[in-house]
Amino acid sequence: MKSPRSAARAVRSRERPATRWALLRLGPSVVLRAQVRVLYVGAGLLLLLALACVATLTAGRLGIGLADLPSALAGNATGVDAFVIDRLRGPRLVVAVAAGAAFGLSGALFQSVTRNPLGSPDVIGIAPGAGAGAALVALLFPGSVPVALGALLGAVAAMGVVYVSTGTGFRNPTRFVIAGVAVSAMANAFIQYIVYAIERDQATVLSAYLNGSLTARSWEDAATIGVVLLLCVPPAVLLSRPLGMAEMGETTAAALGAPARRTYTWAIVLSVALSAGAVTAAGPIAFIALTAPQIARRITRGTGPHLALSALMGALLLVVADLAAQHAPVFEDLPVGIWTMAIGGAYLGYLLSREWRKGAL
Amino acid sequence: MRVHSRARTAVIALGAVAVLVLVCFVSVMVGNKNIPPGEVWEAVLGRGDAYATVVVESRYPRTVLGLLVGAGLAVAGVLMQAVTRNPLAEPGLMGINTGAAASVVAASAFLGASGQMQLLLWALPGALLAGAFVHLLGGRGAGASPARLVLGGAVLTAVLSAFIQAVTLSSPRTFDSYRYWVVGALTGRNFEAVWTVLPLIAVGLVVALLLGRALDAMALGEDSAAALGASPARVRAVGLLTAVVLSAGATAAAGPIVFVGLAVPHLVRALVGIDMRRQVVFAALLGAVLLLLADVVGRVLVRPQELMVGVVTAFAGAPALLLAVRRMRATK
Repeated sequence: MKSPRSAARAVRSRERPATRWALLRLGPSVVLRAQVRVLYVGAGLLLLLALACVATLTAGRLGIGLADLPSALAGNATGVDAFVIDRLRGPRLVVAVAAGAAFGLSGALFQSVTRNPLGSPDVIGIAPGAGAGAALVALLFPGSVPVALGALLGAVAAMGVVYVSTGTGFRNPTRFVIAGVAVSAMANAFIQYIVYAIERDQATVLSAYLNGSLTARSWEDAATIGVVLLLCVPPAVLLSRPLGMAEMGETTAAALGAPARRTYTWAIVLSVALSAGAVTAAGPIAFIALTAPQIARRITRGTGPHLALSALMGALLLVVADLAAQHAPVFEDLPVGIWTMAIGGAYLGYLLSREWRKGAL
Repeated sequence: MRVHSRARTAVIALGAVAVLVLVCFVSVMVGNKNIPPGEVWEAVLGRGDAYATVVVESRYPRTVLGLLVGAGLAVAGVLMQAVTRNPLAEPGLMGINTGAAASVVAASAFLGASGQMQLLLWALPGALLAGAFVHLLGGRGAGASPARLVLGGAVLTAVLSAFIQAVTLSSPRTFDSYRYWVVGALTGRNFEAVWTVLPLIAVGLVVALLLGRALDAMALGEDSAAALGASPARVRAVGLLTAVVLSAGATAAAGPIVFVGLAVPHLVRALVGIDMRRQVVFAALLGAVLLLLADVVGRVLVRPQELMVGVVTAFAGAPALLLAVRRMRATK
């Protein structure tokens, strides 16, 4: 039975004019077709992202003056400005943009497979798994095995456990959500044990990392996430169309020549790789992967996975959150993951109550 | 409904008590320095040599505390599952323990609270608020799905953990004591801790027993319960309040521990059926056994270090939850 409100919404959506398309001509032979609204939103997001980046570099006591910024970016900075852009905020900003994009993309891929806003890497326990893997490597083989490997293995292991224990793959939200809670509980207990077991100084550092922190990022971290993005973005772009087809239903997708099952497998593999890469570079920053695709989808009001917009939105969210973390008045220089966890948690609560009202869960 | 005969129940009860005594014995025996059983017995009777007596006696507080915490968490789980009619209700998963933790951390960081008694008092308001949140989520009729409570709890836990992390990372002193307390550990507790939580847990257990009849009536449905003279709203509120008090006491004593309140009630129902008063008694017994056992295992596994009891229960309990997910019938 439909409530009057949703009926009204249905009528309104029928009245809305059909999606307008635009053609982008790149040179004489390449023509891209895109939804006009998506283009506008994308341009808007890019602009906001650029503004946030400029703010990150210029704000605060050590900020580079707005007038000096172009030459500093061109590599002509000197003195304090050089330090700020080479060591302090440059790598941090690059990691924030790249990791945010990776989280957003990862969430968009995962959610389009589970067809549920709750089906995001955060809820499945990928991030705690990656954190546990990283912590284990940091404890057992300090220095010899890259932490990245631990994070990757942890993420894959956590997802494998969830996948196996649901028995139905990722199609039943109730099951994978509860399984995710169980896996997260285990991973978190493990992390807390390691934080307890190691020295206090190390524990503070590890604890900050495990919350997802962008302080003291190096160009190495930026390179890590850069490589992950380089490896994962092209297949994700190729996957965009099949994912859109898979949303129409498995039969339709198969008839169109893109079997949904294979598409889903690839999407999950890519999603885990992206999440693991982002966690490795920036720590398990909570809820970006959950919120970015949702917000992107709301703004465009369209169908389809909107991979590019989700990535942009993820980058924007993380850069803004990091900006807030750097300049927040009371809690100075907290790990950015704490901010995203608090705000994202509240958003998850809102999403939950909405899903319940719809009766989807 | 299976009928469980008195004789069978009596046998199970005897068995549970025997296991409990055995686990207590092992708990004072095993640790960084193992004491042979014979010497433990001598020490318990007060005739052992001085060294063994000191070692054994140093393990009394944590043993008693383990009993109290285990019993409290398990009974809290029984109450919550009965009140919310949700097989996944549990103080740990619902975020009640995290609520208690959050207010303890806030009190010790901002108000300079310290000492068992003060921390305990501060655990209560946090647990109560979290309990009220759960009540709002799950109290609205039987239509709520199990996932709903678990997810609500996960949200609450996420937001509260963010708060806890923010506070502990800003205050190194709090962080140092917190990182130790948060995993759920029984080490380094003295009898002062025992005396502080004993009244809370004792009162909670007694109220849970008294509520048994009314909760049995509730299990028949709200209308039948009202016809039998129980007021559903009041029973639900008192039941949840008792569960919150029990978990606040347990959390203040040993830190947030998950899954004991989830696993034990299911075990108990399989053993003695659904009679509430039996469930409460057996949950107290088995909860105590389980927690002590987890503590002992934690002492043995990574000697000479210790694995905290909260870590052990998480690793023992999470697979149980995963198994439950697998066996869940495909509901909506």
